[in-house]
Amino acid sequence: MKKPARLTFLIAAVLAVFVFLLAETVVVKIKTTSLRRDPKFTAPIVAAIKAGDSLEKLEARDGWVKVKTKAGVVGWLHSTAVESKKLGLLAMDKTMKTQASAGEVALAAKGFNKQVEDKYRAGNAAADFAAVDAMEKVRPTPAEVEAFMKEGKLGEFGGSR
Amino acid sequence: MTARAKALVSIAIAASLSFSGCQAVKQGAADIIASTGKVSREDAQSLVRTAEVVRSTFAEITEEEEYYIGRATAALILSKYMPYRNEALNSYVNVMGTILAYNSDRPETYGGYHFLVLDTDEVNAMAAPGGFIFVTKGLVRRCGDEETLAAILAHEIGHVAERHGLQSIKKSRLLDAFKVIGSEASRQFNSEELAKVTGIFEGVLGDVVETLVERGYDRKFEYEADKLALSFAVRTGYSPGGLAEFLVGMEEHKPSGTAAGWFKTHPSPADRLVRVKTETAVLGAAPAKLDVRTARFAEAAKNLR
Ligand SMILES: [Zn+2]
Repeated sequence: MKKPARLTFLIAAVLAVFVFLLAETVVVKIKTTSLRRDPKFTAPIVAAIKAGDSLEKLEARDGWVKVKTKAGVVGWLHSTAVESKKLGLLAMDKTMKTQASAGEVALAAKGFNKQVEDKYRAGNAAADFAAVDAMEKVRPTPAEVEAFMKEGKLGEFGGSR
Repeated sequence: MTARAKALVSIAIAASLSFSGCQAVKQGAADIIASTGKVSREDAQSLVRTAEVVRSTFAEITEEEEYYIGRATAALILSKYMPYRNEALNSYVNVMGTILAYNSDRPETYGGYHFLVLDTDEVNAMAAPGGFIFVTKGLVRRCGDEETLAAILAHEIGHVAERHGLQSIKKSRLLDAFKVIGSEASRQFNSEELAKVTGIFEGVLGDVVETLVERGYDRKFEYEADKLALSFAVRTGYSPGGLAEFLVGMEEHKPSGTAAGWFKTHPSPADRLVRVKTETAVLGAAPAKLDVRTARFAEAAKNLR
């Protein structure tokens, strides 16, 4: 490699690292959820996301974060659905607890997982996992949620206090 | 730099570096600490080792692990109680519960919130970790309106949001689990490890189920859940009066014989009422009860037999 080329490469590399540190990445830590147009649960859904998805954080407001997906879709997520990836890299002075929770996604699929549940089920026939599966299948649709709130004058449909 | 400062810095460096997982770096860190002369080589090694054990408390249980603990806890609750086959009521409770969860401090959990009415006359409500929430037919029958049922659901969401169930797991059991699970990258357990982890998992479930069903949480968690119930309910748009109303009813209908369900696992309604009244007073302006909600509650609960 010639000298100028090497220098350009170096500058590019430094810039890349800088941009990487500036662009905060958050990782989805829950099984599945939706990206919404506005920072509220009744807002229209713009994308489906799942555990492990990396998203670029653009903004934070009232417990919500505005993010951009790899496909370029921009939307809002509640902050309890994600964890910050930057913490693990830059939080050298933070407590170890922060380090551990920042590593949550890295730990996913380990510990008490599907493999452990299967092994447990094999030895505990009385535990009614079929009933739990049925319970998990019940998920109110956004339309049901909105109708219930509207009819009962709840949340943004509520009157004066 | 004084020797003491040097030692402290070395320990800090060792702690950070040990996350790198590199053996040479770890050994180097131990050497640096030992070279200060303030700690023995063995102590230095164990300091580095301690820094490696990143997980040690319930707070470090991952969301996914919490979900699997919650699923199995729910499966055990459902081996004791039957689901109440009433689709209209279950759907009503799920929609209401979901909206309350949206307005809680922790709207998103790994597997989401799910609600189910149990087919028993016992007055009870339970929340398995991660958001599996149960209310009994007997409890719904005790509720006079939607505000009251909302208060109960919000109380249970409070237990989930604050991870109270996970805090009933014995500390020694968690440490055992974290030791076997280790801290390397994702992988499958071999059969020996799997047997060990599953054994610990069973112990964890024992701790959680015993607390939920038999022993009850620590009183301070109950008072905290009551406080959160008021806040989540009001944020959702409910009158905060539902919880007090329910507790008054509980006090009036206290069982004379052996206590079961909520009577057994929760502090006395009178004690809770005192606190709830104080906390309601500081809430200030809050939404009022609404006839349209009371009417739809009556409709959803009409066939409770
Ligand atoms: Zn409780």
